[in-house]
Amino acid sequence: MKRLLASALLLASLPAITSISAQPQKKDEIAKLTLKVGDPAPDFTLLSDEWKTVKLSDYRGKQNVLLAVYVLAFTGG
Amino acid sequence: MDSPAANAAFAKQINIKFPLLSDMNHKMLSSYGILKNYEKGGDSYQWAMRANIVIDKDGIIRHIETGDSAVDPNTAAAVCLDLHKKQAGK
Repeated sequence: MKRLLASALLLASLPAITSISAQPQKKDEIAKLTLKVGDPAPDFTLLSDEWKTVKLSDYRGKQNVLLAVYVLAFTGG
Repeated sequence: MDSPAANAAFAKQINIKFPLLSDMNHKMLSSYGILKNYEKGGDSYQWAMRANIVIDKDGIIRHIETGDSAVDPNTAAAVCLDLHKKQAGK
C-alpha cells in the first residue's frame, strides 16, 4: 500500500497470562467493541518495533490510518 | 502483548514497511474494546480480538471489522483506497 494512501499500523499481540486473578473478573467475558463507525478514534501512544513513539493524533490532518490488530501474527494465519 | 523487541525481530523477518506497535499495558486495546478476558483453571487470560479499523485524516472511524472477517485486510485496504480517492477529489 502506498504510504500516501494510508499509514498502516499493526498491533501484534500474544495472549497474556495476567496477574490479575486476585481481582474480581467476569468469566468468559466477551469483548465488545465499544466504538462504531462515525465515532472519533481514541488517541493512543505506543512504541513501535523501532522503539519510536507512535501517536495516533500525529497522523491527524495528514494521513488516513489502517489499524490492524493481529493475534499470533507470527503464525502467518 | 508482544514487546517492541519481539516485534522488531518479526518485522525484520517478514520485511514489514510500516510501524509494528506494542500495547504492553493493554491500554489501547481496552479503550477500543478489543480485549477479551476469560478464566480457566483459576488463571486469568487476556486475548485481543482480531480487528481492522480505518481512521480518516480527521480522526473519525470509517470502517471496523472484527473476528474472522478481520483476518483478511483487503476489505479495510479497499475502504482506505476509496477514502483516499474521495479526499483527492475534493
